[in-house]
Amino acid sequence: MKTDFLNKLKEKLVEYKASNKDIDEILSDYDQLYDDALNSGKTEEEILRVLGSPESIIYDLRDTLQTKKERNIKNKIISVMPFLSLIIFFILGFYKDLWHPGWLVFLSIPVSAILLQTRLKEGIISLMPFISVIAFLILGWGWGLWNVGWLVFLSIPIVAILLKTSIKKVPVAISPFVAVITFFILGFFYNLWDPAWLIFFIIPMIGILYSKNIVKIIIFELAFIIAIGYYLYTGYIGSSLIHGRFLMFLLPLAVGLLYGDIKFMYGDFKGPQKKKAITMFLISLIALAIFIALGVFLDGWQWAWQVFLFIPMAAILLFDRFRLTAIMPFIAVILFFSLGYFFHLFNISWLAFLLIPITAIIENA
Amino acid sequence: MNTQFKKGILEMCILSIISKKDMYGFEVIDKLSSEIDVNENTVYPILRRLTSQGLFDTYVEQTNIGAPRKYYQITTLGIEKLQSYEIEWRSFLSGVFKILGGNHEN
Repeated sequence: MKTDFLNKLKEKLVEYKASNKDIDEILSDYDQLYDDALNSGKTEEEILRVLGSPESIIYDLRDTLQTKKERNIKNKIISVMPFLSLIIFFILGFYKDLWHPGWLVFLSIPVSAILLQTRLKEGIISLMPFISVIAFLILGWGWGLWNVGWLVFLSIPIVAILLKTSIKKVPVAISPFVAVITFFILGFFYNLWDPAWLIFFIIPMIGILYSKNIVKIIIFELAFIIAIGYYLYTGYIGSSLIHGRFLMFLLPLAVGLLYGDIKFMYGDFKGPQKKKAITMFLISLIALAIFIALGVFLDGWQWAWQVFLFIPMAAILLFDRFRLTAIMPFIAVILFFSLGYFFHLFNISWLAFLLIPITAIIENA
Repeated sequence: MNTQFKKGILEMCILSIISKKDMYGFEVIDKLSSEIDVNENTVYPILRRLTSQGLFDTYVEQTNIGAPRKYYQITTLGIEKLQSYEIEWRSFLSGVFKILGGNHEN
């Protein structure tokens, strides 16, 4: 009980960005208060009433915590950033005639707000859309790699998974992205679309490793290896069985049905969670289908990647409390890129990024 | 009663009891709540605020039951503050009693 109480209090203090000195002092004081109250014969319940909830404690202590200065400095930097950016933009423009890439300084407004107002992990996750869009533009303008450059946008979910998921689950969570990236790189650069699609089998193959049943794991993996091996071998020798080589994939399918868990990919979710997981999976599939269709039929490789931004947006809408601030970076990227690309308005479409701090301020203030 | 008003009275009471004897946190809570109806969980934040304002000093003393305890001791600044509180409060009270017509000796 005491440890719970102190842990929660610590969590709240960290959240409030109290200084380490204050945190140590307050925790040690409440540690003593708790012990003394316990020694006086109070029950745990009474003690919680006497000491108050961690939330109310933070509220009562807020004017004694050494955070205000640090927060003020951060807020000042954030508030001054638009003016600083404007000055630098004009200097670059008027004196060096660098209006064009010069507008990039305005990205410092949302970037500084994200860096200074969120905790490290969330900050990195929120910055990924910016880093991705810049990397994408560099790959596109620099090397004309529009058709594969969009793969950098997959770094948005990958980074989120790496930072948010428990280490044990990282391999299975990340396997779909690794598969997509490998598939497209092998396809575009080496025209190996055909055997490259086999890489998607790493998703169930890694997924099944989380099973506790060793025999099942071995049977499953063997079934996959035999099917893939047979497929590659018949293709390699150019066998007359070429049309029948897909049949071997019935083997892992049969094993899956036998164990009754073809559904293991979202086996962790229950009830409404399961529905959401299925929805996410379908949204991802639809996005991929739209992307490929736009790419193949309209040669839209340069812009069709934007459909993938709807995947993290859907995830936020489905799994989190609705907050416009959370999806604004994606909307801003779409506005920025679409206005720039379709209407040649890159010189002003960066203004879309200002929507991020604006919504953050309106929603949080 | 007005919360701000109540907090002021509480501050004065805490200053007063610690001016008589150095005390540790829970002792203050215990003493106060035995005399007046007080929301116990507001006491520590007040102790901390008054300490940060320099009205209390703290020191640590070993105990025979285990962990060392932090004691609060009033400073000269604290005594001055207490005196000004008391003057204000007594004149306020005498005014109130005058209005009520009670027999408050002051």
